[in-house]
Amino acid sequence: MSNKHLFQKFGFLRAPFGIGVGRYVCQLQRITIKFCKSHGCSLGIRSFLEHDLIDYAKQNPGVVVYVKPRRHRSPVLKAEYLNGETSWICIANFSRQDIIQWMELLKTQYHDGPALRLLKLWHTDFPSIQGPWTPFTFKNPSLNQIKFPDKKIGEALKFKPTATEELIRLFEEQQEAEKFDQEIPVQKGVS
Amino acid sequence: MNGLQLYLQSLLNIKHIYNVLTANVGYRYIKRWVSPTQKEITRRKRRLPAQPESKRSNFIEWNRNSEIYAFNTRLSEKFDTEKLNQAFTHKSYILDELKKQQEMGIEEPKFDISHNEEYIEKGREITSEIVKKYLKKSLPRLPEVGITALHDYLMSEQMLATASSHIGTKDIILTSEHPVSQQTLAQTFVALVGALAESVNVDHASAFVRDFLIVGLANKDLTEIWCPTKPFELLNDVISAERKISIEARLIGQAGKNTILSVYHVGIYANKEYLGSGFGETIAEAKDVAAINILAQIYGLHHTSQPLRFNEELNVSA
Repeated sequence: MSNKHLFQKFGFLRAPFGIGVGRYVCQLQRITIKFCKSHGCSLGIRSFLEHDLIDYAKQNPGVVVYVKPRRHRSPVLKAEYLNGETSWICIANFSRQDIIQWMELLKTQYHDGPALRLLKLWHTDFPSIQGPWTPFTFKNPSLNQIKFPDKKIGEALKFKPTATEELIRLFEEQQEAEKFDQEIPVQKGVS
Repeated sequence: MNGLQLYLQSLLNIKHIYNVLTANVGYRYIKRWVSPTQKEITRRKRRLPAQPESKRSNFIEWNRNSEIYAFNTRLSEKFDTEKLNQAFTHKSYILDELKKQQEMGIEEPKFDISHNEEYIEKGREITSEIVKKYLKKSLPRLPEVGITALHDYLMSEQMLATASSHIGTKDIILTSEHPVSQQTLAQTFVALVGALAESVNVDHASAFVRDFLIVGLANKDLTEIWCPTKPFELLNDVISAERKISIEARLIGQAGKNTILSVYHVGIYANKEYLGSGFGETIAEAKDVAAINILAQIYGLHHTSQPLRFNEELNVSA
């Protein structure tokens, strides 16, 4: 991210009021095509006006198309959307095909997408499905039955055997070994 | 002869090249006046007070008839053009125009267009009725208080103004004020409903209200808009009316008793059957939260309930 993005408009990707729930409404409300009648950089837009504009207006009766000639200035598309946003494209030296595609893009979006720095790639109105965390979330249900204070749960955690336990273990091992030694001579005597 | 012509031409070319060469010595085509001029313009602009927002309908590229036509087709509606024009014309605009004529010296000012006062009144009634009926249909178990709360939320000026500006009325409205106020936007929305009811019928207007106003509830937490004040008593009434048994709240768990981080988990049971539970910092709070959770689930307001439907047909006139 470069420094200039700090001053760019930022936010989450949000749909305009009620869009996609009720009926379909094209979000582009009007588009102004500004161009020059003689300059070379308006060649593409002039051929667009000649061949495609009538079809465009017929296909999109909900979009008001204004054509504004002005002398020796670069051609521009300015789109105004229902949510009050505007999108502005300089189309100097664009070919007719390019302009058709840009007009299509302007029609299908609801704001100038690249002008918005997204804070996150997702957004939700209900951030938690299972509700807020509480001390009882993911607790073992068996804890419900226990009466506190409980000696077994309340005792300190042990990761190593204590010295006493170690001594008891050694003593028991010794006892086992002695028992074993006593048993072997008896077996020998039998045979 | 040809040879002479060639000679003369080459002589001209040389002269031309010589001119260009001599003229360009030490010259880099840098316009040194641009930067200071721009700086001066910017400085003067900054010194100016805040400029009023430009009015879209004053631009050269503005055709009111096309705008009205596009408004109608964009929403795929069947407004009568005359009535649509009337719905957009506020009384203040007509008064303003008459005043202008008087100032110009016309003795009997005349401005023969009708304003939308009538539509506003009628439209408000229709909208209110449609909203109430639609909410009753889609949330059949919600009590009257809840329906009224949701209805008031939808009919609030802010909500109506949002709905109005998102169908593109802002630039088409004829009013004396600029920029258009929230109140005018809200009034225009109800005036449009009134105009549509007259252009087609009330049932058609109900689809308009559903698609452009009631959809505002789609991404809202409904319990935030309406929440019962005494939830436990209300739940008790609901359960006892249905099953003739009273409910009982029991403590499921508690942690951090007598500390600032205390948590209580309270469950509500009816005849030993678990209905739901809630958490709170005190037992009373947890009990209320549990009751609200259960009520929201019963009424279909909970965030886990099935979302509101926005495709139901409404028969208002019947």
